[in-house]
Amino acid sequence: MTIYSFYIFDRHCECIYVKQWHQRDRTFRPTSSSASTVDSPVALASDRHSSTSSKLQNEVHPSSRGGRLSVQDDAKLVFGVVFSLRNMVRKLSGPDDSFISYRTGSYKLHYYETATNLKFVLLTDVKMNNLKVVLHQIYVNLYVEFGEFFSIEHPGGEGVAVELFEMGLDSFIRTIQD
Amino acid sequence: MSATKAARVGEDVWKTRIDKVNAELVTLTYGSIVAQLCRDFEGDYLEVNKQLEKMGYNIGLRLIEDFLAKTNMGKCANFRETAETIAKVGFKVFLNITPTVANWTTDNKQFSLIFEENPLADFVELPDDGRAQNELWYSNMLCGVLRGTLEMVQMQVDAHFASDILRGNEVTEMRVTLVRIIDDELPPGED
Repeated sequence: MTIYSFYIFDRHCECIYVKQWHQRDRTFRPTSSSASTVDSPVALASDRHSSTSSKLQNEVHPSSRGGRLSVQDDAKLVFGVVFSLRNMVRKLSGPDDSFISYRTGSYKLHYYETATNLKFVLLTDVKMNNLKVVLHQIYVNLYVEFGEFFSIEHPGGEGVAVELFEMGLDSFIRTIQD
Repeated sequence: MSATKAARVGEDVWKTRIDKVNAELVTLTYGSIVAQLCRDFEGDYLEVNKQLEKMGYNIGLRLIEDFLAKTNMGKCANFRETAETIAKVGFKVFLNITPTVANWTTDNKQFSLIFEENPLADFVELPDDGRAQNELWYSNMLCGVLRGTLEMVQMQVDAHFASDILRGNEVTEMRVTLVRIIDDELPPGED
């Protein structure tokens, strides 16, 4: 079981936290097969959801041709996907419904949203079980305990990157991966 | 969620998941905050009300996450449910009191919280300067807390005290009005 990356988005649509595991060299084209799973599926997904802004795609495509996306571009694409999917699900089956995860051939995206519009996203390999509960636990035990009380408006998206939160997240993720 | 279920959730969370502090400590701390503000603003009670509300608002913005994490509650279906949740879960969990929800308007956008007890105001007497009785809303921080928490769950409300036992009124009553539902923010470039 492998976990690729983790994102938190706040209610202002800002990515306030990113963590990527299994980091590979970001300046060269990925050579190992697992390397392509983090970013290329996301780029693919955004093609399909053409409702995400064209401006976003324009920004992204030149860089994706060059190989790897920056962490910020990844985050923007992930946000675009979950935002569109969430809104679509709500339109299709009512405002109380929300999507839990989706998977492609090469990765699975797990999603949890709080009533305060905080969005938690985890990208894993396809064999991973549903991690909605895990995301909820990250919210309850880590974000609320350590992250939230340091900064409310998260200026510059650095707000919750607090040492205790980092440590907690790392050890927590390790328990899932085993 | 029905009122009885809200009461049960509130009771349960309060019993099992809440760290408690001495109530008198809270009362005294709050009292010294208000007293200090009255000194800082040299008896300008209207300004003190405003500052208390603002402090509460900033508490509320954070408190909502703690509330959601501890109670594990989702979105309320309507404003009536919100009111029951505030009274029977929110106030119960954080202050161990359960104000009564009353006086709904017919459009279901305005209600009152009647406080039979108010731990913030225990042992309190307002200054006897002829103005505090008419101008100071001693527990005004609670209004701000409600405004802050509800804003974070997409409800803009107006909350203010309509009467206070400290002022010699018969009951302590807070009036809460739903102003509007706040739309989701759109990411830049999509609006």
